[in-house]
Amino acid sequence: MKKWILCSFIFAMLFTACSNGNGNTEAPAANKNANAPSGETEEAPLEKVTFSYFNAAAAAKDVNTNETTIGKLLEDQTGVNFKIEHLVGDLNTKVGTMIASNEYPDVLIPDAAIDKVLDAGAFIALNDLIEEHGLNIKKVYGPYFEQMKAADGNIYFIPFSNVVGEYIPDPSIGQGAFWVQRRILEEAGYPKINKLDDYFKLIEDYMNKHKEEDLTGFMALTHDWRFFATSNPPMHLEGYPNDGGVIIDMNTFEAKTYAAADSTKRWLQKLNEINAKGMIDKASFVDNYDQYLAKMTSGKVLGFFDYGWQIGNATNNLRDAAKADPSKDGLRYFPLPVTFDGQKDQYLDPPGFVKNRGMGITVSAKDPVRIIQYFDNLLKEENQILRSWGIKGETYEVNENGRMYRTPEQIAKIDETFNETFGFKYYSWNWPQWGNGSSLSDGNAVQPGVQAEVFQMSLTDADKAILEKYGVKTYSELFAKPDDRPWFPAWAIPKEQGSPQQIFTTKSDEITKKYFPRLVLATPAEFEAVWAEYAGEMGKLDKEQYEQWTTEEVKKLIDLAKGN
Amino acid sequence: MENTTLTASPKTLSKKPAGFFTKLVQQRALVLMSVPFLIWLFVFKYLPLWGWTIAFQKFKPAKGFFDQQWIGFEHFAFLFQDERFLRVLRNTLAMSTINLVLGFVTAIVLALLLNEVRHVYFKRVVQTVSYLPHFISWVVAASIVQTTLSPDGIINELLIWFGWVDKGNEILFLGIGEYFWGLFGASSVWKDVGWNTIVYLAAMTMIDPAQYEAAKMDGANRFQRIGYITLPGIKPVIIVLLIMQIGHLLEAGFEPQYLLGNGMNVDYSEVIDIFVLKYGIAQGNFSLSVAAGMFKTVVSFILLFAANYLAKRMGESRLF
Amino acid sequence: MATAATSSKPRKADRISSSREDQIFDICNYTFLVLLMVVTLYPFLNTAAISLNQANDTIRGGIYFWPRLFTLDNYAYVFKEASVFHATMISVLRSLIGTAVTVFCSAMVAYTITRQDYVLRKFVTLAFILTMYFNGGLIPNFLLIRELGMLGTFSVYIIPGLIGVFNLIIIRSFIDGLPESILESARIDGAGDFTTFIKIVLPLCVPVLATVALFTAVYQWNSWFDVFLYNSSHQKLSTLQYELQKILQNSNASLSARTASDAFANADNEAANSVTPMAVRATMTIVASVPIIIVYPFLQKYFVKGMMVGGVKG
Repeated sequence: MKKWILCSFIFAMLFTACSNGNGNTEAPAANKNANAPSGETEEAPLEKVTFSYFNAAAAAKDVNTNETTIGKLLEDQTGVNFKIEHLVGDLNTKVGTMIASNEYPDVLIPDAAIDKVLDAGAFIALNDLIEEHGLNIKKVYGPYFEQMKAADGNIYFIPFSNVVGEYIPDPSIGQGAFWVQRRILEEAGYPKINKLDDYFKLIEDYMNKHKEEDLTGFMALTHDWRFFATSNPPMHLEGYPNDGGVIIDMNTFEAKTYAAADSTKRWLQKLNEINAKGMIDKASFVDNYDQYLAKMTSGKVLGFFDYGWQIGNATNNLRDAAKADPSKDGLRYFPLPVTFDGQKDQYLDPPGFVKNRGMGITVSAKDPVRIIQYFDNLLKEENQILRSWGIKGETYEVNENGRMYRTPEQIAKIDETFNETFGFKYYSWNWPQWGNGSSLSDGNAVQPGVQAEVFQMSLTDADKAILEKYGVKTYSELFAKPDDRPWFPAWAIPKEQGSPQQIFTTKSDEITKKYFPRLVLATPAEFEAVWAEYAGEMGKLDKEQYEQWTTEEVKKLIDLAKGN
Repeated sequence: MENTTLTASPKTLSKKPAGFFTKLVQQRALVLMSVPFLIWLFVFKYLPLWGWTIAFQKFKPAKGFFDQQWIGFEHFAFLFQDERFLRVLRNTLAMSTINLVLGFVTAIVLALLLNEVRHVYFKRVVQTVSYLPHFISWVVAASIVQTTLSPDGIINELLIWFGWVDKGNEILFLGIGEYFWGLFGASSVWKDVGWNTIVYLAAMTMIDPAQYEAAKMDGANRFQRIGYITLPGIKPVIIVLLIMQIGHLLEAGFEPQYLLGNGMNVDYSEVIDIFVLKYGIAQGNFSLSVAAGMFKTVVSFILLFAANYLAKRMGESRLF
Repeated sequence: MATAATSSKPRKADRISSSREDQIFDICNYTFLVLLMVVTLYPFLNTAAISLNQANDTIRGGIYFWPRLFTLDNYAYVFKEASVFHATMISVLRSLIGTAVTVFCSAMVAYTITRQDYVLRKFVTLAFILTMYFNGGLIPNFLLIRELGMLGTFSVYIIPGLIGVFNLIIIRSFIDGLPESILESARIDGAGDFTTFIKIVLPLCVPVLATVALFTAVYQWNSWFDVFLYNSSHQKLSTLQYELQKILQNSNASLSARTASDAFANADNEAANSVTPMAVRATMTIVASVPIIIVYPFLQKYFVKGMMVGGVKG
């Protein structure tokens, strides 16, 4: 019974490229020479047209954009509606069938399968279209055009993570941090913790004082692909942001892997040491993600390292519990900028430009002009306000200083259902846009969430109290400002399929997953021997070619950034 | 309907074989009942086999069939030369053998036990309940297994309660590679024993009840009746299923190993399909996946024909 | 064999004559079966409990047999999609039609390959069996369906899976076990093969047909991969399982799609009853399996009988 599904995994991708005609099977009645002016003056209403839009990067209910409030307003402006379909099953399978039959939706976000789509020549070059109809696209993406160009000099898709205006950092911690329960900080008198040893000392002292409570000092997230939450810390502890498997030197821009480097040894030796003291949750190394979150919400775990975006479910649960019973606020976690020796941390992401994801118009598209005009229209400032703040008086207000904010009633109103019907859910990402951290021409944030006024409203009294103890107004102020890194994030540099780089990553991951638990759980006396074995295994891999390749790619990106 | 079977007993016919086509015409009803499905089979199962060609190509999805680069057996070489391939092959064989033996034995035993229950109602309830886990996806089931086996799970609690394990020294079941095969076997049985029983229960309905009556008269006890009537009664089904299953010996499943596997037990939990996923599909190397699939097919055929031959030699019912 | 019908009622009297040995066997047997029920009922109870518990509370773990904070929100979340109802209808349809067609066709082919004198017997048998061990692959299959013009049609749920080889073999074993005398007498009466198959073989095969019908119906009911592959942009042909997959994926993405602080800007994350993938998965397990469990007894009665009733009616 399950064979069919199983086989799909095993054989999953039998691509074929026997092209079946040119795919333009359904020539629509849509007016091909709809020559819409990109200005506001539109005399005759445009003929209404619906395009298909396949989104493999997100999951939501499939809709027509004109069924949402935002989408309806945009349709009124442009006459264009999109029928959005989201990916449900395996990405490669779905994209594979599209490539095999050479039939695509009009607009496609292929997510991680983008290289296959490009390889298949499924996207049309946008250069001329942008030149002719893309006034706003040029304005918004102009600084990135060089980075967006493929080897042949054409632009095939539009990424999402550009920044317009002044960069406004995220006030809360979606990125990595060493987290600790607030009650520990309270009992210790809110000390400034920025060294790894101090961090574990803090936890150890608390554990020793509260022996009867059956507490766990530290746990690790190791489940499946989330293993990076345990293998990434050495990079951060050395004072670098999340570039994936490499650390990039800020002077020479050389990429170095660190999985078998001294930093990783130091990190694991520390874990080994605290394990010997009985502070580590051994089951960490076999628990799944749900079990991990359950432990986090149990209030028994004093600390852990993780990325904020992975623990939302648990931290929300703890926050709600604390709202209901303020005495439980001590069980909530507080992020700390911990490094090995207290050097400057770089936990916060610098503004990065993820250039291997985006949205393209396919060769099957019926009327690329209308689509590019829609994109261009969407990139106008007023439409960016519409798609992210909504409608004044309904979903946001403006105060006497021109600052945008939301009332508590508005915040309460915007729930899951509202997000769907209004369209925030469909326009928050996955369109050409003013990316995260962008600001409007009047200084307001494009994203309501990073707007200081909105963020402050989300804080509880206890939140404000603890932030005050550390002399900051937002969590991100606890961390050092991110340095400029034009290549960031290095993990987003596309690797060719089946390339030595990709095989290196897979093999290296495999070895770390196997040895990390052993290294941590070994007796301190055994540690060196296990480490030697691990280093030996890692030594068999050709890390030099990987580092060299990454360095070259990083340098290319730096040159591109300098070029404009 | 036409009178196709003119001869009452087919055996008399075989003495002097009529021409193939004469017989075909004679048996046109049978032909009409099966050949359309043979065509269906060819179209839907055999025709797509052209896809195997990409195992010999450095396959690029964007290129046409004739533009592909042909590289012979390179992908097969990659598979067989990797030291880990032997390990995953061992794991696959070990787990599918465990599954085969355990799966058959438990399902048959449960079917026999159910057959001995005389309260029809109780029997039906047990049977219904025992097949319920089949409808729980492995994702959910694996999560239950993980919770049950965790240091604070019920198994460790029981072991502590019995005094076999000290508190604080709970066993990290999924962290010990050597335990994995056993845990896998147990989980699979737990999930599918009830479901697997169904086919044997159906087979048991064929046994002539008069046989039991007669055996009872002769003073046969429960075990004798099971051994001399029930088991022989369902033996043809058992043998046929067994042969089919032996052909699938390289299919040890994929989901449970993937979901229950972790860095600590990877040496025992990784099976061929996971290996192929990591180095084939995840790398965009589709040719490798197909090569692995072909390897499995070849092994399956060898096993299948061997098992079938063996059954024939032993005078048992055969698959074909 | 025809006499079997005479003992068509369970004989309660048997129990009186059971020996001491028998009683011990029964006690052990019943105890074991009750234990087995506990072990196999647990995952289902556990899943049901999670589906009835507040999603945000379930994260804490520790839900076993009963919900801790009872709620129907997870079900409301699943059923708020109107598409679920239409999809359920399609699922019912494909289960009914698919099962009927598959069972009939498989049985027909199975009958032909039990006829020892059939000249194509060996060829047909082997041709079918071999297909169990290979697969041309996903894309060739997809292209085939596309070339046949079956994309976006209901037939794609029925035709490609017309005959399950496993089912075919099971039915064949069963027919092989039928007493030759019955089939032979039919032939003497001058019945053609098709008539024999319809009038004699099918009725005799009810237990195995019920079994195969169950296998097929469950397969049809649970399928979503073919919907994903062939009909994903045809909402009208979506099935329950596919809609449930969508809902699950939707709940998965609700958090990660946004930056952490974006979530503060609306009530989405504030609500304590917001769903989690874990809760949705549990709910959809229950939603999808309860119909099967309800239908099950109607099929079950054909293959689970009292030991003394089991005979083939002549």
